This record gives sequence, structure tokens and C-alpha cells, in this order.
Amino acid sequence: MIKTPLCDLLNIEYPIIQGGMAWVADASLASAVANAGGLGLISAMNADADWLRNEIRKARTMTDRPFGVNIMLMSPFADEVAKVVVDEGIGIVTTGAGSPLKYMPAWIGAGIKVLPVIPSTGIARRMEKGGACAVIAEGGESGGHVGELTTMALVPQVCDAVSIPVVAAGGIADGRGIAASFMLGACGVQVGTRFLVAEECTIHRNYKDKIIKAKDISTIATGKRLGHPVRCLKTPFSRGFFRKEYDPSVSDEDLEALGAGALRLAVQEGDEKRGCFMAGQVAAMVTKEQPVKEIIGEMFSEAEAILGGAGKWVS
Amino acid sequence: MTTFDKVVKILVDYNDCDASEITMGTKFADLGLDSLDTVELVMNFEEEFGITIEMNEGLQTVGDVVKLIDSTQG
Repeated sequence: MIKTPLCDLLNIEYPIIQGGMAWVADASLASAVANAGGLGLISAMNADADWLRNEIRKARTMTDRPFGVNIMLMSPFADEVAKVVVDEGIGIVTTGAGSPLKYMPAWIGAGIKVLPVIPSTGIARRMEKGGACAVIAEGGESGGHVGELTTMALVPQVCDAVSIPVVAAGGIADGRGIAASFMLGACGVQVGTRFLVAEECTIHRNYKDKIIKAKDISTIATGKRLGHPVRCLKTPFSRGFFRKEYDPSVSDEDLEALGAGALRLAVQEGDEKRGCFMAGQVAAMVTKEQPVKEIIGEMFSEAEAILGGAGKWVS
Repeated sequence: MTTFDKVVKILVDYNDCDASEITMGTKFADLGLDSLDTVELVMNFEEEFGITIEMNEGLQTVGDVVKLIDSTQG
């Protein structure tokens, strides 16, 4: 049995947070993770208040355990969804793609625990100062929007920089990743890619098949030119996008337009021509579809075995 | 030492740039600083001047920061 301060902080059984993946992290996945003893998240992505409110209420019919909401701060609806989480009595919020500082006083005032996803020690310190209860240090191995530092380098530095709990994210798909995260100083993990193929994950069949088929070198980070790189599977679309980034005749606006809506096409339509199939570098380690409960159970029993033998080189 | 001089000193220290190149009109982006650098710098300014700086789109130039700091120092 693995228990860390994150379990008490978030009132969960296993110190694992499901990534707030846009278009993916819906009521079905969030409630399944909550029921399995982890922290499930609904992603507010670019959706409006009505969509989020409905999804929260739907999830409440599927679980009586706590779950959280991920607020994507670049969303045009960030202001209104930031209010929905308060109105709906959500207890835990994670944030990504920007600074949540302007919302934090209201959230903290409402008793919400805030866990920002952060890419550097400076931002981690700023979030601690702003009242975050923990930070999620996400390395560039992860899928979706990525930072420059790797998990291996980022996590210990963040652990040194702040005194609140640190959750490791990026590159974690099995018990080895969990054990390694603990060794780096984290007291929990956030996992995205492995949950893409959970039975309760509602994404298109093509998306799941692509993850299961992926190899170690199957992902690419595109969009660096636009200042917000995204890691996704290599497809004719993402390779084409990558080439266009180095083509000076393509404007930034055209590049933005090319990427717009591509994730939705992947998730909902399974569109292999125009979809952007976001995935982390661990996609190759994800080899079969399983219920969430089995995924979490398997990951933690592996971690337990590894951590139990952690002293094997020490004499 | 004026606020401007102190801000320049922090910038030079952080970015290894040439102090003579920095004016009130210099944009952070012109110094090749990205959003992560800006966060680090803002924290350095906060520590140096003992204030809290709200990060927003209004902080584009060295002059913006200097004015903001001066307005809080009364």
C-alpha cells in the first residue's frame, strides 16, 4: 500500500491525478478515475460555462467521490468557467496554459484547493506564494502543451524550490515512472497518455489504436514557432505542420489556423488526415485497453514492488 | 541608484546583456526573453523592491516596470 501526503490533501486513495486532457477528460473518465481511488479531472478546455456545468453534474451521477476540474487559462471562457467551479462546489482545481493568479483569491476563498501545472521553478514559487496547495511539475515528455525541461530535471529542482507537495507529470505510464517520481522528490503523479486507452475513455477508436501502435519515436513537438509547442503523434498532418513551421512563406496566422480544431477532429472524428493526436513519449508503453481501476491498480502494485527493492544497490 | 538603474542591473544580471543597450523603451521581448523568463524577472523585481507585481499584458517594456515600481514606492 502506497500512501503519501497527496492522498490526505486531496482525499484520495492512490496519489495519482488524471491529466486534464482537453476533449478527452470528460465526466466518464473523471468519474471512473474517482471511483478507482485516484483524482479524476474534467477538462474545461475551450468550453463555456453551460458545457462545464452539465459535465460536472453528469459526473456526480456517476461517482460520489471527489473529482476536480482543469481550467485551461488560454480559453476564451476562462472567466466564466472559473466561476462555475465555485458555484458548483468543486473542491479541487488544476490549471494549465497560463497563470491562474487572478482567479486564485476567489477559489481559495471558496475553499478550493488549487494545483497549477508548472514548467519552471520560478512559476512554481510564484504559485506557492499565490496560495497553491501543491504544484504539478510537468516535463516536456508529456503530451499536449509542453515545456522545455524534462521531468527528470524539472521535478527535483521544483522540489528544492518550494515547500508545498510536488506532483510529477510527463513520461509516467507504469509503476517504474511512479517509483522514479518519488525518488525525485514528488509525492504523487499525474498521468495522461495511459488513460487515453482506458475503457471508460470516450475518445475515437482510431485514437486509441494509434496510441497502442505507437513506438518510442512516434511523437513530435510541433508549434515551437508559435510559442506554445504541442506534443502529438507523428502523422502526415503533424509532420506537415512541423515542415510548415520552418517555411518562412507560411505566416504565423496561417499556422495557427491550421492547428485550430485539430485535436477535436482527432478525439471525436478519429480524423487521420487532419486530426492532431496528442500523446506523451510514453505512448509506446501503453499497449492495451483496460478499465481505469485495473490501470491504477497495476501501476501502483508495480511501484510498490520497485520501491520495496529500492535499497538493492545500497550496502 | 534610481529605480531604472536597479531594474537594469537585475536585467543585466539575469540576461548577460549590455546595460548600455537598455532604455525605458526596451521591450522584454526585444531582449529575447520569453514568458518563463518574464516570470523569473518579475520575482526578482518583487524581491529587490519588496512589492507584489500583478503580471499582465501591460508590462511590455522596462519603462512599464519602472513606472509600476515607482507608483508603489510613493
